[in-house]
Amino acid sequence: MRHSAIYPFTAIVGQEDMKLALILNVINPSLGGVLIKGEKGTAKSTAVRALADLLPAMETVKDCKFHCDPQDNNQLCGICQESLASHKQLVVQAAKMRVVELPVSATEDRVVGTLDIEYAIKHGEKKFEPGILAQANRNILYVDEINLLDDHVVDVLLDAAAMGVNRVEREGVSYVHPARFVLVGTMNPEEGDIRPQLLDRFGLSVIVSGEHDPDKRVEVIKRRLAYEANPDKFLQLYQEEQETLAQQIIQARQLFPTVSIEDELLTLVAKIAIALEVDGHRADIAVIKTALTLAAFAGRITVTSSDIQEAARFALPHRMRRRPFEEGILDWKKVEALFGDQ
Amino acid sequence: MTAKTVFPFAAVVGQDQIKKALLIAVVNPKVGGVLIAGEKGSAKSTLVRGLSQVIPNRKLIELPLNATEDMVFGSMDMEQAIITGKRQFSHGILAKAHNHILYIDEVNLLQRELSNAILDVAVSGIHVVEREGVSNSYEAQFTMIGTMNPEEGDLPPQFLDRFGLYVTVAGEKNIKDRVEILRRILAYEQNPIAFYQKYKRAGEDICQQIAAARKKVKQILISDAMMQLAAQISSQGNCAGHRAEIFLLETAKAIASLAGRHDLLPMDMQEAAAFVLPHRMRQPPEESREQHSQKKQQHDQPAQDSFNKEQSQLPDEEQSNANEPSQDRDEAPEVKSEGELEKGKRQEDTTMADLLPIGNMALDLQKRQVRQSSGKRTLAKTNTRQGRYVRSCIPTKPVTDLAFDATLRAAAPYQLTRAKSMCCINICRGDLRQKVREKRIGSTFLFVVDASGSMGARQRMKAVKGAILSMLQDAYQKRDKVGMIAFRRQTAEILLPVTRSVELAEKSLQHLPTGGKTPLAEGLYTALGMLSTMCRLEKGIEPVMVLVTDGRANAGGRAGQDAVSEALQAARLIGETGVNSLVIDTEQDFIKLGIAFTIAHALGGSYYKLDDLSAENIIHIVNGMK
Repeated sequence: MRHSAIYPFTAIVGQEDMKLALILNVINPSLGGVLIKGEKGTAKSTAVRALADLLPAMETVKDCKFHCDPQDNNQLCGICQESLASHKQLVVQAAKMRVVELPVSATEDRVVGTLDIEYAIKHGEKKFEPGILAQANRNILYVDEINLLDDHVVDVLLDAAAMGVNRVEREGVSYVHPARFVLVGTMNPEEGDIRPQLLDRFGLSVIVSGEHDPDKRVEVIKRRLAYEANPDKFLQLYQEEQETLAQQIIQARQLFPTVSIEDELLTLVAKIAIALEVDGHRADIAVIKTALTLAAFAGRITVTSSDIQEAARFALPHRMRRRPFEEGILDWKKVEALFGDQ
Repeated sequence: MTAKTVFPFAAVVGQDQIKKALLIAVVNPKVGGVLIAGEKGSAKSTLVRGLSQVIPNRKLIELPLNATEDMVFGSMDMEQAIITGKRQFSHGILAKAHNHILYIDEVNLLQRELSNAILDVAVSGIHVVEREGVSNSYEAQFTMIGTMNPEEGDLPPQFLDRFGLYVTVAGEKNIKDRVEILRRILAYEQNPIAFYQKYKRAGEDICQQIAAARKKVKQILISDAMMQLAAQISSQGNCAGHRAEIFLLETAKAIASLAGRHDLLPMDMQEAAAFVLPHRMRQPPEESREQHSQKKQQHDQPAQDSFNKEQSQLPDEEQSNANEPSQDRDEAPEVKSEGELEKGKRQEDTTMADLLPIGNMALDLQKRQVRQSSGKRTLAKTNTRQGRYVRSCIPTKPVTDLAFDATLRAAAPYQLTRAKSMCCINICRGDLRQKVREKRIGSTFLFVVDASGSMGARQRMKAVKGAILSMLQDAYQKRDKVGMIAFRRQTAEILLPVTRSVELAEKSLQHLPTGGKTPLAEGLYTALGMLSTMCRLEKGIEPVMVLVTDGRANAGGRAGQDAVSEALQAARLIGETGVNSLVIDTEQDFIKLGIAFTIAHALGGSYYKLDDLSAENIIHIVNGMK
C-alpha cells in the first residue's frame, strides 16, 4: 500500500470526541479501547486508519510474529523469551502501528490461531499458526459492527481483551502468546445490542453522528474531493498539523508515567461510581486512567477536576446498568452534584 | 506473561469471602472446588490467577474457552505416530491438571459437551480415554475453580452441584476501599515488577499459612457431635444426597486448620455452611405455608417457572429482588427475610438458628428452577459451517467441514506403510473427519397483532409492545429476536422488523396506530412472507409466530371469498410450513364467535384465551413455548 493512500487524521472535520478517544488510546494503550456508536459514513474507519498512520514507527523484534517490544521483557512471546534466555540479541526493527481488522464473519480458529495445516502435512509436525489476535498484538484491533459478531468469537475476544494474553488449546496445538491491543469497535445500535460483559471491556465509548452544520458538511465534501484529486498535494497541506499532533502524542506518552492524581480526586471518582451503582470496578479505573491520559495530553503533570469530568463522559455512559424499560442513561445530575461537593 | 506480572493475590482489597474460599480449596482438595459468581469487574479472575503465586507445589492450569475436545482429554500423538507408526497418547489439559488446580474462566460459557465430560472426570477422578484408536485411562484429580458472570447465563444444575463451595461477589461499596483499589491498580500498572516486590512478603506469608494448614488438615479429627451437626445442617437445608455433609465437614476442617487450630468448632461449621449450602439447598427450611403452596403452584405450571426466570435472570440480583414484590406479592416476605438473615449471618454472636444461610438459599432456589427449565435452548448443534468447533466425528455423508487435526491424526499411524507422496502425510478417504460445531441459537418471535377498531385494540398493541421491549431487554442473554406486524384497515404493516435491538424497537413502536377494519388474512400473508424470508436468510432458526387477535376478520377477501375463510386459508398455509405458532384470543364480546380458535387449529398451533391482556401475561405464555 502506498503511504499516500491514507487520509490525514488532522484533515477529518469534526468528530472531536471520537478523535480524542482514539488519541487517548494510543497515548495509553492500557485504557481498553473505544466503542464507537453511530451511523454509517461518519469517518470511523478513516479516523482509525489515519491515526495509526500518523504515529511514528515503534520498535519491534524483527521477524517476530507477535511484534514483541524488545524493551519490555515482561510481555515477550515464547520465542523471544527463548532467544533472550539463550543470550541472543533481539534484532530490533521499526514498524508502524497497524490496524488489524476482525471481520464479522471471522471464524474462531482464524481469530485465536490454529494448527498450521500445510506445515503439518508437509513435515508431519505440529506448528501453531497465529491468528488475528497475534497480528493485533501491540496494534489496533478494529472490529466493525462488533454487535453482529458471533457469540463464541466474542467469548474469546473478551478473554484476550481482559488478560492481554491469548491462550490457545485447540486442534492439536497448545500455545500462549501476548495479545495486547487497542480494541476499537463500531456499532449501529439499531442493529442489535452488545453483551454487557463485552461492553464493560471497552475503556471508552463515544457516540458519533453526521455533521448537521451545512457549512461543515460542505467542508467535508471539499476536503474529500481535494484529497481524491491529488492525494500527495493534499497530504502536504496537512503535513505540519500532522507532525504537530504526532509530536504532542509522543510528548504525552513520555509525560504519562509522571502524571499524578490527588487523593481527593480518587475519592471523588469512587463516590461517582458508587452513586451511579456501576457493576464492579472497571468504571472507576477507566475514569482515572482516562483522566491521567487527558492530563498528559494537555501537557500537565497533575490531574484536575475537569479532567475527571471529561473522562467520566467517555468512560461511564456505556457502563450504566440497564433496567427493564430503561436505556442505559447516565444521570449527569448525580455526577454534577458530586462535583459540586468538591 | 510471567507470574510476576500477574496482579498479586495479597494486593487485592477486600473480597474476603472469595479469598477465604480459594484458600479453603487449596488447603483441602477434598472440598470439591470453588465456583465464584459475580458481576463483571469485581476481581474474580484476578484473584484466581493471583492464586498461583501463593500456592506451594501446585500449579494453576487454565482451560480456555476456545479449547477443543482433543486438547482437554488428550489425543493421539500425531508426530510420534508418523515417525514410529505407533499410536501413542499425548495428555490433555485434564491430565496435566492432575494434583493441581483446574481453572475455568467464564465457566458458564463453556461448551455444553465439554462441561459434561469434564464433570464426569471431576467426579470419578479417573479419565478413561477411548478415542482415535487409543485406549487409556489416567488419573485426573484436580481442584476445580470456576468463575462466572450470571448475567451471561446459568450453569446446569448438575455442574453447579459439583462445585463444593459457592461464593458470590460484588464490587466494593466502601469509598475508602474503592480508593485504595484505584491506588493499587495505578501503582501496579506503572510498575508491575516493583508492585510485585512490594507484596512479595505478604504473598509468602499466605504461602506459609497454606503450607502449615495443609499439614494440619490431615490431623484434624471429626467428632461425632460435628458429624451430627453437619447432618442436621444438611437436612435442614434439604440438600440432595450426602455430598453436602462431606463437603461441609471437609470445608470446616480447612477453616479450622487455616485458623491454626487442631479441632473443629461449631463456628467452623457455621462458616462452612455459608460456602457449601447456598447452591445446594432446595427448599427454605422454615418455609411458611403460603410459600409452600406457591411453590406447588409453580410445579404445576411450568410456564410459571419460566416466568419467574424472567425475573431472576435480570442483570443483578438486587434488582430482581426489587422487582419481585411488584410482580408477585407472595414473594415479598421471602425477599424481606433474606435481607435480614443476611445481616444476621454476619454478626459475630450467632445462635444455632442463624447458622443456616436461609437467605442465600431462598434466592438460589429460584435459580435452580430457572436452570431446569432453561434447558438446551441456547445451545444447538449446527450443520452450517458456523459455530464453535467442538470435536470431530467420522463422517457418514460427504465431508463438508473437514476437521484437519483429527484427519491428520487418523492418517498418521499408517504413514510408514503407505506409499510416499509429495507430502509427508498421505491421506486416504477413510481418514477424513468431519467437524462437529455448536452454536448458541436464540428464539425468534414474530408478533402479528390485530390493530383494527374492534374492542381492546389499544390495549392489545400496548401489551404486545410491553412484551416485546421486555423480551429484548435480556435478548443479549437469550439471543431472542422479536418482530411485529400490525394489521388494520386494508393492509398489514411491518411495524418492527425482526431485531435484537431495544433501541430500534423503542423507536419503531413509539406510535401504535389503531382503528379500521380487520384484514386478518392480509396480516397472516405478510407474516408468512416474513417467516419464509427469515428461514432462508438464517438456516436452523425456528421462528415462533404469535397471533394476537379476536379473530373477527372483516376485511380482505381477495378472490371473492369472505374475509374469515381467506384468513383460514392463510393460516393453513402457515401451518404447512411447520412454523410454531400460538394464538392469543382477545375476543371480549358477549356473543363469542370463536374464530380465533379455528384459526389456531388451522395453524396447527396452541391457543390461549386471555381476558386480561397484559405484557406480563404475554411473556408468560410465550415463554411456555420455548
